[in-house]
Amino acid sequence: MHPLLSNRNNLLLYLMAWAILGCMLGFYLGLAGRLSVGETVCVTVPVVVALAVVCLGAWYPCRVLPPGSTPVWKLIVNHLLAAICCSAIALIVAHVAVVACGGIFPRLSAHMKLAGPLLAGISVLFYLLSVAMHYALLAFESSRRAELLSREAELKALKAQVNPHFLFNSLNSISALTSIDPPKAREMCIRLSEFLRNSLRLGERLSIPFGEELMLAKTYLQVEQIRFGQRLCVREDVDPNCAECQIPPLLIQPLIENAIKHGIATMASGGEIAVKTRRSRDSVRVTIENPYDPEAPAAPRSGFGLLSVRSRLQARFGAAARLDIEIERDRYRVILSLPCQTGREAAKELPWPA
Amino acid sequence: MAGVSGEPKIRAIIADDEDLSRRLIREYLSGEPDFEIVAEAGNGFDTVKAVAEHRPDLLFLDIQMPKLDGFEVLELIGAEIAVVFVTAFDQYAMRAFDAAAVDYLLKPFDIERFRAALDRVRRASARVAPAAVAALKQAAHAPGQYAPRIVVKDGARVHIVPVSQIDYIEAQDDYVALHSGGKAYLKQQTISGMEASLDPSLFVRVHRSFIVNLERVAKIEPYTKDSRLAILSGGSQVPVSRAGYMRLKELMDSI
Repeated sequence: MHPLLSNRNNLLLYLMAWAILGCMLGFYLGLAGRLSVGETVCVTVPVVVALAVVCLGAWYPCRVLPPGSTPVWKLIVNHLLAAICCSAIALIVAHVAVVACGGIFPRLSAHMKLAGPLLAGISVLFYLLSVAMHYALLAFESSRRAELLSREAELKALKAQVNPHFLFNSLNSISALTSIDPPKAREMCIRLSEFLRNSLRLGERLSIPFGEELMLAKTYLQVEQIRFGQRLCVREDVDPNCAECQIPPLLIQPLIENAIKHGIATMASGGEIAVKTRRSRDSVRVTIENPYDPEAPAAPRSGFGLLSVRSRLQARFGAAARLDIEIERDRYRVILSLPCQTGREAAKELPWPA
Repeated sequence: MAGVSGEPKIRAIIADDEDLSRRLIREYLSGEPDFEIVAEAGNGFDTVKAVAEHRPDLLFLDIQMPKLDGFEVLELIGAEIAVVFVTAFDQYAMRAFDAAAVDYLLKPFDIERFRAALDRVRRASARVAPAAVAALKQAAHAPGQYAPRIVVKDGARVHIVPVSQIDYIEAQDDYVALHSGGKAYLKQQTISGMEASLDPSLFVRVHRSFIVNLERVAKIEPYTKDSRLAILSGGSQVPVSRAGYMRLKELMDSI
């Protein structure tokens, strides 16, 4: 699919550019052929519409003739031939317009004879301009795709990673529970397995429903709640309408992990993690709030959590998603807002197959 | 011999912020008649307090705790206690544990491993050496990173001094005085040791007995033939030796 036709904003920009080019063309044609305003409009409008459509066609030769690997003569010959065709089409359209409007403007035919060569030249120029624009567009697309692919590859490597600290601490809690409270030890084993299995399963996918991500975070919290006991309270305020939105996996869980590691774990008496989700018409907002000790010894920061969440948000949603951090004395709040895409929309956003 | 009844028991404190971890150690220790748990602590402050109060022989010490971490606790309690680190995997500190502690236990650990640690404690005349504590602290931070704060013990109280708020540091016999916002905190350390633990791009040894925070230096005035005086933004005056001036100038030129 042509990149300008598949995106409404791009198409609008393209048409606006043609409106301006059209005015210029009209002005010069009018000057060269001493056309009246009515005559100018009568000829220029159909010609510009035709040129706008034909110049879009430059996309196809541009795609099969990449400038790096095609001999220069071949580039010149191909595009020049296409430009001449384009110019011929413009002249034919102009001629048809002249004939059609002959009844209204009897002297148009004679005037256009003067402006004809100018129209032919300008059409060639416009087409070559369009070729240049398409090459720029292609270069931009390919660099964007390369970036997306490399990000996804990076993500794949990171996804399977479960924080070893979390794992060892959990296993230690299980080890302690086996003699203190065997049923609880078993429960923790099961929750931990659930979390590991789901994070492996979800991590392999490019896109998962928000509801599943939230379940994963919940399982994680259940494991941590056994480990921290009374020190960790959880308050959930979840909007069920968010559940079907598609998001990249492991987006919420690392934020919860941070809230525990840099928040609850720094408080001698613990505290409460509040998770709130809200769905507006086409976006989701997640707030995760936790107390923290601003004077706490710095826990070793892998820097992985927040950074990875941010870069993956950007890779998927661009400027449409935000990750904000608010710090109020001893409260730390992460606010994540992202567009809610469901099924088909989300699939479209995935990187193209290589 | 330790362990024979009538012998004094080895008195231990367990410091870990997780209740379950403490209970596990308590359970493992319950089978050891020559050990006695005198206190438990769930955060760094409480640990320092408990150590000061009970003067134990042995400390089971977790690294990541609220208030003060294990390294800071170690710095504050002095070198008279055998320390066994109990921590989840931490690749940076592992090597340093070898040098500084009687033993270290990686969570989760079984009772055999725990008993081996107790054996080392029984045999240990080994105590944590101050030099090893410094090495440990350094190892705890990745290369190129410096501790963002300094802990100072003042009687039973613990002060936490953020490094960025230190104006200058002055050597006083076996101590250094950290001057911060008009207050002075005394810490038992050499000024060279202090210098090594601070970020050299922020703190300059301007004199045999003085380290100054570069960001506080307002101006430098000539004083005697060979020395100068640094006027800090708070109004304090710090002597600058000829060599110190060279260092200061070099650093300021590089900015």
